[in-house]
Amino acid sequence: MAETRAKTIGQFLARQGILVAFVLFMIGFALANGRFLGIDNIMGVVRSSAILGVIALGVTFVVISGNLDLSVGSMMSFSTIVVLDLHDKIGPALAIPAMFAMTMALGALIGFLVGYLKLNSLIVTLGMLSAIHGLTLTYSGGKNMDIDDKAGTWFSFFGQDSVLGIPVPILVIALLAVLLSLLLSRTPFGRKVYAVGGNGVAATFSGIPRARVVFMCYLISAFCVAVAGLLQASRSLGSQNTVGQGTELDVLAAVILGGASLLGGSGTIFKTVIGVLILGFIQNGLLLVGLAFYVQYVVTWVIIILAVWLDIAAKRGRLLSPIA
Amino acid sequence: MNKSLKTMLVGATILAGSAGIAAAEAHGPYRIGITQNNVGVDSYQTTYEQAFIAAAEANPNVEAVVLDAGGDVARQIAQMQDLIQQDVDAIIIWPTNGEAVIPAVREAFQAEIPVIVTNSNIAEAGFPFVASFSGPDNITQGARSAEIMCERFTALGIQDEAQIVQISGQPGYTTAIERAKGFEDRLPEVCPNVTLVETQPGDWNREKSQQVMEAFLVKYDDIDGVYAGDDNMGVGALNAALAAGRAEGITFVGATNFAVGYEAMERGEYWGSIYQSPVDDAEAALKTALDILAGEDVPFLNYFDTPKITQENQGDYTKPVF
Repeated sequence: MAETRAKTIGQFLARQGILVAFVLFMIGFALANGRFLGIDNIMGVVRSSAILGVIALGVTFVVISGNLDLSVGSMMSFSTIVVLDLHDKIGPALAIPAMFAMTMALGALIGFLVGYLKLNSLIVTLGMLSAIHGLTLTYSGGKNMDIDDKAGTWFSFFGQDSVLGIPVPILVIALLAVLLSLLLSRTPFGRKVYAVGGNGVAATFSGIPRARVVFMCYLISAFCVAVAGLLQASRSLGSQNTVGQGTELDVLAAVILGGASLLGGSGTIFKTVIGVLILGFIQNGLLLVGLAFYVQYVVTWVIIILAVWLDIAAKRGRLLSPIA
Repeated sequence: MNKSLKTMLVGATILAGSAGIAAAEAHGPYRIGITQNNVGVDSYQTTYEQAFIAAAEANPNVEAVVLDAGGDVARQIAQMQDLIQQDVDAIIIWPTNGEAVIPAVREAFQAEIPVIVTNSNIAEAGFPFVASFSGPDNITQGARSAEIMCERFTALGIQDEAQIVQISGQPGYTTAIERAKGFEDRLPEVCPNVTLVETQPGDWNREKSQQVMEAFLVKYDDIDGVYAGDDNMGVGALNAALAAGRAEGITFVGATNFAVGYEAMERGEYWGSIYQSPVDDAEAALKTALDILAGEDVPFLNYFDTPKITQENQGDYTKPVF
């Protein structure tokens, strides 16, 4: 009896090691600062993590399909700047769909290059990181974009309002996470994504249209980036050209922290969300504890590496690699 | 002597004569080369370039060669070498990197071309090769922000108990370090009882600054003032306080007045800042170069004035274009 219980706990740990790590951090920070678990603080962290989180949802698809997307930071700057600029020119009702179309066109281009032309995704998206940044600067002429009439626009709804006491960005990421999670785990398309990432050759021989699946993953990623750009633009109603700079690495960290393999074929939306929350709460927790920022840089990465280690150790049931 | 030779001689004499007159009026036109850091990456640098070109065109004595390094150190060094090859009269450089450009500055110095550094200075090792630095004085800016903060607290009668937080610029940037130093040194001199409870970087980023301020608001029940290293971050902090319903009791002071900061001041939400105009910056750089070419005595650190701007006097200043 006791043995079976130990076994189930072991199995639980193996499956949800990252969740355990998450709970441990939360307890640690809560002990260090009593306000850490306050409802205002939690809401604040989740809301400001939502932008990173929405992007991470899309990148999860790309990573599971066995590819990378390093262009998401630049792409988010692009969508933020475009929607802010068009807001004053053609009105928010037209600006939003126009921005989605432009951002997804970029996603389609990447999807075409990686999926149909089979170019290495690291090189393609690294190139797009610079190219899209250049495109954004060309578009804006380097100027900060600001909405003129900040008080009188309904555009601020997405980033600043609440529905039933819950901030809209949190609702958006929750809704998107549920939808994408269903798409990934409950549909034939979702299984194809795993198949393509797990073993592309076998997938091709099983008649799975590999190129199309990869193409769709980048389209989903671009869609999520557009949503993030919308939230960002709506939250601040103005932006620099570099607003998304560096996001791609945080996003990747969150996705990998959630347990998706960089080699493709594994990962879930739920775990990515946990990864995003861990990153968000670490940042916030360290600020509340009040460490100097240079210590924070170091501690953040120590915690991330600890979390990944805990996760892997739980999976294989021992702390060190069996080969070492 | 045949006719054509006579015509040539007369022509040459007239030419020489008119050249002499021109030379007597002014030593020009001067060819001045400028290599900028990264035009187009932000509004300040974009406006700077436009203002520089406008100022150069307005002055008949100046023929400007305007280059942009695009943030690339190697390209900037190549541009310096080009300008030296073209034998321009003076070179203005907005360094992409304070250390890496020193050898190129030294080459210009050896070619006897005066170099003027604009906006952000190069490292001290390069000072012997620089004719003058033209730009804002960030330490004074920080000090002035401290004065604005203190004057406001005194007016509100809380100069003996106020608590403030600071959101600084990107760690490692000279501008960020100098502004923070100027502020931290000056504040205890003017308002010795105001406490600076915590400083965290906002990385010149509005969103990051908003997150930092959210954490401050959770952590501290009593915040009377926020000093931000520029208005972009200041407005991020303001947004966080507005969302938490605590903006009313907080005095926001920034630096480098941005359009968003100016507008927030008009709305009465943001108290003050430092007015730093890219137009003044560009014109000061060109004037410094011309003064040096005219043989005038120019101080090595030739700062242009960056005055205080608050809700009370903002009417005297036009809204920044960036």
